[in-house]
Amino acid sequence: MTQRFLSHADLTALVAELVAAKTRVIAPVRAKDDPEQLDYSPIQKLEEATFGTRLPRRSMKEFFLPVTEVLLRYQQTKEGVEIKATPTEAPPIVIFSATPCDASGLDVVDKVMSWDYQDELWFGRRKAATVVSFLCTAMDAVCFCTAVGLGPDSIQGSDVLLVPVEGGYLANVITPKGEALLKGKGKAEVPAGAEASAAAAQGEARKKVEANLPKIPAEFASWLAKNFDHPLWKTISLRCHGCGACASVCPTCHCFDIVDEHDSSTEGARRRNWDSCQTSKFTLHASGHNPRGSQNERFRQRIQHKFSIYPTKFGEILCTGCGRCARTCPGGMDLPTIIGELMTLAKTQPEGSSL
Amino acid sequence: MNIYQPYLMSIKEITDETVDTRTFRLEFKDPEVAEKFTFNAGQFGEYSVFGEGESTFCIASPSTRKGYIECSFKASGKVTRALRRLSVGDTLGFRGPYGNNFPLDNVMKGHNMLFIAGGIGLAPVRSVIWTCLDQRDQFKDVTIVYGARSVGDLVYKRELEEWGKRSDINLCLSVDPGGETPDWKGKIARIPTAVEESGVKAEDTFAVICGPPIMIKFTLPVLTKLGFPADHIYTTLENRMKCGLGKCGRCNIGPTYVCKDGPVFTAAQIRALPQEF
Repeated sequence: MTQRFLSHADLTALVAELVAAKTRVIAPVRAKDDPEQLDYSPIQKLEEATFGTRLPRRSMKEFFLPVTEVLLRYQQTKEGVEIKATPTEAPPIVIFSATPCDASGLDVVDKVMSWDYQDELWFGRRKAATVVSFLCTAMDAVCFCTAVGLGPDSIQGSDVLLVPVEGGYLANVITPKGEALLKGKGKAEVPAGAEASAAAAQGEARKKVEANLPKIPAEFASWLAKNFDHPLWKTISLRCHGCGACASVCPTCHCFDIVDEHDSSTEGARRRNWDSCQTSKFTLHASGHNPRGSQNERFRQRIQHKFSIYPTKFGEILCTGCGRCARTCPGGMDLPTIIGELMTLAKTQPEGSSL
Repeated sequence: MNIYQPYLMSIKEITDETVDTRTFRLEFKDPEVAEKFTFNAGQFGEYSVFGEGESTFCIASPSTRKGYIECSFKASGKVTRALRRLSVGDTLGFRGPYGNNFPLDNVMKGHNMLFIAGGIGLAPVRSVIWTCLDQRDQFKDVTIVYGARSVGDLVYKRELEEWGKRSDINLCLSVDPGGETPDWKGKIARIPTAVEESGVKAEDTFAVICGPPIMIKFTLPVLTKLGFPADHIYTTLENRMKCGLGKCGRCNIGPTYVCKDGPVFTAAQIRALPQEF
């Protein structure tokens, strides 16, 4: 990892240069329907972006796994069916000022997208994207990135991490992609004291999140697996409406549906759409049987998948601690509080319930 | 070509098995794919009707026969109802083969085989049966116990007749009490009873069982009673799937992905799964 120093003017020029070269630049922008809120949106110049004041309301996964995308187009002909495949190469895109929790989400989801079968559509977009994240100082009471092993200055999934210092930004260049982006930009010499003040800012940010929830211990995954039938699952999700809002704002929820939609009687598209394990039809068989027939079972799946199944399979918690699910849930299901309670239970009942 | 893009296949033959169950014989449109395509008994695929969507079921034909695959389905959902509207010569999509398979070559060869199926559960078992029969000299005794609710619900009737005539197969056909016709010559019993009375021996025998969950639930104790160890009993699980590739996140039973870790499991493996299927 190398470091560079960029002034605000350097950044402004970089964005202008990228836009001029027809690269799509995405950054947090004030939402049109609610100026209090931020959305990751395309920008033409840096001034349109709002840096580091709060977490955008949705994660940026939609730029990698779109809400809906065409997998193929089909056309019925006299001879049968013609298929037009969706190209797997994506146009270049730079995400500016991503939060480290969102950037790390990409890296976490990479694991399932490359498990045996490479999802070329996901990796086409991953390859085309450069992620510049920004030290997060906008944490609130439901942030818990440090509990899942990340942090407000985490570099996982980022190509560059910017830390604001006096007179500009300390750019931590993490990957060759980040190097290519910042080549010749700003200065290679970092001003005296910048490194120390960046470290202080990072330490302070970390401390703030750490106060919300202690780090999830490694054995938590196996405790959850052992306690699949613990009575806690029967009451834990009584407030859950099964709407799936948590999954749609989550940077790591990646479950999807595949459906055909016809444009006319002879042509149409096969699409991949976001889906959520919290909805009642997700696992419903055509026979009417449903392996996860109640909301309790569906919520158990969500917790088990994120904090036990995924870590056991891929070595990573399927959660970046962004807290969006807790902020969004209409029923007030608060994931960090729930995880905290489960961790306490795991401590007091290491072998699980005797019921 | 991305991983979600299906091969195109055309329907060569349609056989009505029962009032609501139909078998397609399918051939790849691309001769190169037809030449290269191989699979193992027990694997499954995603079959699609363009404009309607994809549906998951096993390959019901044996892996020993090349150039075509067969699938049997019951019209029960959107896609299977659309499949039913297709005719000979029509095109459908196929992605696969996916998942693991019955370990015929590396585990079962050289031993006795007991096949147990109920209703349309014979489809995946039929693939294993024919794969085994195509190399009959590699296996010892072959016993098939097959039953359905009624005579009308038995599938692959012409093949049942053929198996019944062969001296190297011990075939036991059965229908549930009340499901018999006046000329029914088989047993009148539910599958667990039919298995118990089949005279099959557990020693040196591997069992392959597939059918409705309730049938499996009551047949497993019978097999245990007969002396079958849990790791000599193989079955295939079904769960709703979309991708078949371990990504879409709906077929898992706890940590086990039916699409990738399965669909074939031993009874011992199934016992270790969380009870959520």
